Amino acid sequence: MKNPLYILLLAVVLFSCKNDNKSNEEKTTSEEINVYTHRHYESDQALFEAFEKKSGIKVNVINASADELIQKMVLEGEQSPADVLITVDAGRLHRAKEKDLLQPISNSVIDSILPSHLKDEDNHWFALTKRARVIVYAKDRVDPLELSSYENLVDEQWENKIVVRSSSNIYNQSLMASIIANDGEEAAKMWAKGMVNNMARTPKGNDRDQVKAVAGGEADLAIVNTYYIGKMLNSEDQTELDAAEKVAVFFPNQDDRGTHINVSGIGVAKHAPNKESAVQLIEYLLSEDAQNTFASSNYEYPVNPNVENAPILQSWGSFKEDTLNLSKLGELNKKAVILFDEAGWK
Amino acid sequence: MNKILEINNLSKSFDGGKTKAIDQVDFFVNQGDICAVVGESGSGKTTLIRLIAGLENPDQGNIIISGKEVSSIKKVMVPEKRNVGMVFQEYALFPHLNVLENIIYGLAKRKDKKQRAEVVLELVGLSTYKERYAHELSGGQQQRVALARALAPEPSLLILDEPFSNLDAMMRNQLRNEVFNIIKKTGVTAIFVTHDTQDALAVADEILILQNGKLVQKDEASRLYHKPQSIYVASLFGNTVQLNKGLKNAFRCPLKEDCCHAIRNENITINASDCEYVTTAQIVKRTFLGTHSQLLLKLDNGENLSVVTNEAVLGDELKIGFNSKDILAFDE
Amino acid sequence: MKQAGNRNINSFLDSFFKLKRDINRWSIATLFILLLIAVPVLTISVKLFDGPGESWSHISTYLLPSYLENSLYLALLCSLLTILFGVSSAWLVTRYHFPLRKVLEWLLIIPLAIPSYIVAYAYAGFLDYGGVYSIFMEVFGVTQAKFDIMNVFGLAFVLSISLFPYVYVSSRAFFLNQAVNLLEASRLLGVSERKSFVKLILPLARPAIVAGLVLVIMEVLNDYGAAQYFGVNTFTTGIFRSWFSLEEPETAIYLSALLLILVFGLILIEKWQRRKIQYSSVKSTNTKTNKRIVLPKFQQFIISLVVIIPVVLGFFIPVLQLLIWAYKTVDKVMNQSLFWLSLQSFGIAFVTAFFTVFFALILLYFSKWNKITLVQNAAKLGVLGYAIPGAVVAIGVMIPTLFLDKWFITEGFATQFVINGTLIALVYAYVVRFLAVAYQPLESSSLKVSDSIPDSSKILGMGNFKTFIKIEFPLIRAGMLSAFILVFIDTLKELPLTLILKPYHINTLAVKAYEFASDEMVMHAAIPSLFIILTALIPVVFLNKLLLKNE
Repeated sequence: MKNPLYILLLAVVLFSCKNDNKSNEEKTTSEEINVYTHRHYESDQALFEAFEKKSGIKVNVINASADELIQKMVLEGEQSPADVLITVDAGRLHRAKEKDLLQPISNSVIDSILPSHLKDEDNHWFALTKRARVIVYAKDRVDPLELSSYENLVDEQWENKIVVRSSSNIYNQSLMASIIANDGEEAAKMWAKGMVNNMARTPKGNDRDQVKAVAGGEADLAIVNTYYIGKMLNSEDQTELDAAEKVAVFFPNQDDRGTHINVSGIGVAKHAPNKESAVQLIEYLLSEDAQNTFASSNYEYPVNPNVENAPILQSWGSFKEDTLNLSKLGELNKKAVILFDEAGWK
Repeated sequence: MNKILEINNLSKSFDGGKTKAIDQVDFFVNQGDICAVVGESGSGKTTLIRLIAGLENPDQGNIIISGKEVSSIKKVMVPEKRNVGMVFQEYALFPHLNVLENIIYGLAKRKDKKQRAEVVLELVGLSTYKERYAHELSGGQQQRVALARALAPEPSLLILDEPFSNLDAMMRNQLRNEVFNIIKKTGVTAIFVTHDTQDALAVADEILILQNGKLVQKDEASRLYHKPQSIYVASLFGNTVQLNKGLKNAFRCPLKEDCCHAIRNENITINASDCEYVTTAQIVKRTFLGTHSQLLLKLDNGENLSVVTNEAVLGDELKIGFNSKDILAFDE
Repeated sequence: MKQAGNRNINSFLDSFFKLKRDINRWSIATLFILLLIAVPVLTISVKLFDGPGESWSHISTYLLPSYLENSLYLALLCSLLTILFGVSSAWLVTRYHFPLRKVLEWLLIIPLAIPSYIVAYAYAGFLDYGGVYSIFMEVFGVTQAKFDIMNVFGLAFVLSISLFPYVYVSSRAFFLNQAVNLLEASRLLGVSERKSFVKLILPLARPAIVAGLVLVIMEVLNDYGAAQYFGVNTFTTGIFRSWFSLEEPETAIYLSALLLILVFGLILIEKWQRRKIQYSSVKSTNTKTNKRIVLPKFQQFIISLVVIIPVVLGFFIPVLQLLIWAYKTVDKVMNQSLFWLSLQSFGIAFVTAFFTVFFALILLYFSKWNKITLVQNAAKLGVLGYAIPGAVVAIGVMIPTLFLDKWFITEGFATQFVINGTLIALVYAYVVRFLAVAYQPLESSSLKVSDSIPDSSKILGMGNFKTFIKIEFPLIRAGMLSAFILVFIDTLKELPLTLILKPYHINTLAVKAYEFASDEMVMHAAIPSLFIILTALIPVVFLNKLLLKNE
């Protein structure tokens, strides 16, 4: 009766030994890179594999939220095995820089690809992809001519007509930070209050759920990231497809500063044990090949100007971007959260 | 005679000193004696035997078993090395082991396990029950297994915790005799704890009375019965009437008032004429109790008295009395 | 004066001697293990004295009142619901004979295997536009039907339906071991079945129910994923918001420490109650006479239905939804690596469950064997890890172990981290976090073994350790198996801690599911989630077989 238990235990012990051995072996081979990333997309996994094949450098990935990764790097200090940190917003990269976790990289290949507003002024981090936070509206109920800017959403005509996710979401925090930067703190707070007034329901769910709510008639407008619409339009799920087809994308603030964009980006860790490999990885991720993958499989806007947008993105037309220095988003992030709380944005 | 167990100035308290379970207890037990520890629940008797067995550590004093100090304030010997046997109130047979395995359990270090187990099983008369499990045995059988298990390693001291409290009255007398016959046969020194004085009187060579953790009297059974040192001890062994001033007056008993006296109920004679101290009484109420009845009496000077008698009492008035040799005197 | 002084010195000497006498190797071992377990918790608790960060006034004004209210509300609702589902099913399963009983008996544990945030997604999908519910409603001519579950009541429902097995497991163990005999005694005295249950069994079962409930409440307070998705802000939301959004780890840790105090209070109340109900630890009685009542067929059928309800709600509906999603994403997600992931998850969960049960046993028994009351009480602090959010435990583990790791490197014992980034740190953190999960069933099953049984063994010449191996181990085996299964399942679905501490080369199914879900690809998370359930089934079925064999 006890035998199967022992056999299992033995198997497990052997199994864990095997893993340890494996990790020891691999750590002795020199060519590798440790990636701390908040991007959990399949496209990234595919790109890392492609990079391994191309360069012969083994990519080790730790997936977690950027905040946790930053905390981990702080605790690990000089001995941190991290080579690069990848996040899905500029704010977190800025925070990592503030905490002295990143190092400047001057590299002509990178400089030749990236325009200055898509990287840190001290070259501590670089954008990999762009995403725009846009307004989607129900095609059958809303005339896009009535839409103009984020600021316009607090107009009473939209009372009980807007759905948006919770303020704990980083994309909302970045949007709020851009509004603080552009309109000032007081106006931003009034804006948040107005938004809360116009919400059709308390914030819940993710961006896709906001689109579904608009499609289902719970609201007329939603604020979402572009690539989610792209993904929904290519979904395996008929419901998501139907929902996405009932809405259309509107790029706000085209007459003034432009639509709010955020970036996902990468920085080299200050104590990176494999700095050379790290730079190689960044060069690769900015290359046309990699940028094409980002664009076509993840529906993000590429940062390499030689790469075209995905067809779906092209169909929405080009738009004017807010060229606010992205570091601002990081600096104002905390302020944004405080204002959200004060305005009662759940 | 050889002292098997010697206890000096032993104290133990719980809850950080708030409850004194055992309070400066001194006594010894001679080889081959059967010693009863009597007390009400909460008197500390279970704590005392747990201290002896080494299941608790004392706060003060020491315990010596077979000439070896096993517990003191500076060191304690673990229970498994004390060579003490114990039968628990709920028998504590190991439920996942059968009778034979239970008995062999304590014989791990011996070579003649099987033979020794046979011997003790024979002793308790359960040789045919080797394969049974605890739940397949009656209460009495479980107890005999527990006894056999405790005796198997030939302990120098056997402790029994409330050995008969789980049994009904009918079985109790029979089993008590059986158990103590077995114990006598082995010649082991035994301490047993009980709240029932009948058990103690029936089998113990010596009886210890515990009250609130203190040892109030230690004596042979008959001396304890006839010369109790307090009304508490006296009343443990049957109904006792304290002779207060009013009662003494009623019986015209010339004892000094400032000293405590009592008389056992059974020494009060109903319809007495030849007693030294006599009085007349009215029956206020009688309660029929089968073999005997309880009478609530009003004595001629107005004092109330309740007595139990198995004599037939006719009419509403009677004479009652007692003799001076039966009066119990205490120092209190 | 002088005499009083002498007495003081003497009593001090006495205490010293007694302390020296009572310290045995078990006390030292207990303290050592306790220290090992408590270091991460202490690391966090010490932060309490640093005070919160500068956002504290902001948090306490705008966030805390409503977060606290939501948390308490959730805890209350979930307590009621889990007791309803858990106790009723446990009682029916132990007391009555009905069709499918044997299957249901272990199916009732399985809802635990689905991470609660996945259950939340599944229910939202199930009830959303185009979901099974709306298709069903279309039959009745209702189009675009949606049942809004994304609120505090829905969250309470989802959490209860995935956590009630904790209450089920602990109360079932009690019912199996004692209740039936007691009930039969009561029936013989002429008290009706129903009345006996309400007046006798329920009060007696309270410690067992509460033990399960403590786990439920800790888990509810700890939930982040489901609450986040449903837009219900809880205390843990506050912890994450102050850590990540307000960039103040110190405030987050301060809040965790407060949560710790809250949970510690809960545990104390539970202990205090258990002390009041001393009679609950009556001696072990035999279970072999346990015969289930055979009712007429129709009533049996009704009972089956009642017991199936929590299984359907907690298992079949979420799994149905996951299967629908799995079907749609099978081409993209299904590949061989999932089997390798399952094997890794299984291995990690197995090793973790083994060590957690091992350490829980050590804490439970070593502290019993040591004679110092203070150490006995301190051992109970070991279970506090469960109250702390996984991410915070991870930090608590990293701070001291990194200190060691760095010291190893500076002293030249190692060239790289030997604790962090390996299985050691991960399993260590799991043990810290899940010790309570193992401790509760072990403690309640050890309470069922009357003290006189191990005492007898010691008097018969066996030391503490031999007594444990020969007597207690076989007697508490059922409790150990439940402890093992619960920790195994919990480890399988653990997320934030795994994310932070896992070695590069190791990946788990939960991490895989999370990668999809966090990217709003909930459908893609279905297949890894189903693999989690399948992996969890292995020990449940296997160990249940073992249990049945011994019955």
